[in-house]
Amino acid sequence: MKGVVFNVLEEMVIEQCGMLAWNEILEAQEIEGIYTAGESYPDEELFGLVGSISAKTEIPAETLVGAFGERLFKGLSERNPVFIEAESTLKGFLKSVHDVIHIEVRKLYENPNLPDFEYEEDADNTLLMRYRSPRKLCILAEGLIRGAAYHYDTAIEIEHPVCMHKGADHCDLIVRFL
Amino acid sequence: MTIEDKNNPYIAAYEREKRARLKAEEILESKSRELFLKNERLQESYELLQKQQTAMLQNEKLATLGTLAAGMAHEINNPLAFVKSNIESLTQYHASYARFATFVNSISSHLPDEFQSQLKALQQEEDIEFIQEDLPELMSDTVEGLTRVRDIVMNLRSFARTQSTDRCTANLVEGIQSTLKLLHSELNNDVNLKLDLQPVQDISCNPNELNQVFLNLIINAKQATEGLERPTIAISSSTVQSEIIIKISDNGQGMSKKVLKEVFVPFFTTKPVGEGTGMGLSIAYGIIKDHNGEINVSSVEGKGTVFTIKLPIN
Repeated sequence: MKGVVFNVLEEMVIEQCGMLAWNEILEAQEIEGIYTAGESYPDEELFGLVGSISAKTEIPAETLVGAFGERLFKGLSERNPVFIEAESTLKGFLKSVHDVIHIEVRKLYENPNLPDFEYEEDADNTLLMRYRSPRKLCILAEGLIRGAAYHYDTAIEIEHPVCMHKGADHCDLIVRFL
Repeated sequence: MTIEDKNNPYIAAYEREKRARLKAEEILESKSRELFLKNERLQESYELLQKQQTAMLQNEKLATLGTLAAGMAHEINNPLAFVKSNIESLTQYHASYARFATFVNSISSHLPDEFQSQLKALQQEEDIEFIQEDLPELMSDTVEGLTRVRDIVMNLRSFARTQSTDRCTANLVEGIQSTLKLLHSELNNDVNLKLDLQPVQDISCNPNELNQVFLNLIINAKQATEGLERPTIAISSSTVQSEIIIKISDNGQGMSKKVLKEVFVPFFTTKPVGEGTGMGLSIAYGIIKDHNGEINVSSVEGKGTVFTIKLPIN
């Protein structure tokens, strides 16, 4: 996982719980917590941090990951405003994730291990985003979509009828634009 | 003062450092992107350079072969001229000799017995009857062989482009259409022909020669698609900037990289001995070069071949 994800997690914890709490979480995990945006770090380190935060805040890990997804969108969009500026609608932005943003990310980093998205559009204003990733971070993806919806001031509902955590080989994230 | 105290100077310092870090990361990312794009451009230039180098080597090779071919054609042409002339004289001489032999035969019965038997013995010894019978065939075979040599020499000269060419204003699309009419019966029954002929400007050229190029390429395309379930030949014309682009492509057997390197080389052929001279594409190359144009080929084995001709609008 890229260091930028750890950076935003750190920002979120400091905003919500203070610096002391973040230091304690790092200590609990026995890690230095030095993360550089473009560097890759073990996924387990992120999952360990999320576990520690969950234990400390007594927020279930799933809820925490979802909330982190929303905050991660904010962190990423602040760091890379160009992708947001390029799309004027939420739908346009979501559709650009796979074909524009991920391609640009691949230009910068070798093996960024990005998830795969396939899209299907329905006439009744829904967008199906088919998510595939060995990390199975579909809840984080949901959070990111909600973060984007908040940024674009667009009301949405997300359904998640097919999930990799329930044995499927992909997740269907159905975004309904209200 | 605790770590959470907003007046703690370390908080301000932390925020400052964080902003500096973000800025540094932004610079790093922008430099990485620049590096990526430069590398991409470099890679493109490198590939272009490699292609041009290959083309240059090919052109040099063909130019050398052209000079060699022109020299050979010239050297062969001179003795060929007198051999051919001598054969024509010999044919006439043989006719005279045959008339003479027939006359001698007809008067032999009036000769004294001794001479009659000597004449008969000589005729048998020299097998005059067989010579009389065989000579016309030998002559016609020789003439046929010489005609083949003359054709080869002419082909070599066409490749070397040593002849002066007659130029006139003509339209390439019309040229392609007339060539297709010529090949109508050859193509229509067997091949699915896809035409995308955009109108092009008239150019000063030798239309007969260019039609020969189109004919060669279309026949080659047809032969490449033989045996396919859906043989298809596509021909297109377009104008890009100051050039007319003609593409002749087929979905045939394609060519290996090794064959591709040699297609324009005189006498190179993949056809069985006796079925192709290996001069068709080298002549096409010579004609297009003579028109200050370019002829290129790309091919994928099992998928097909595309010949692209670029001719300048004068």
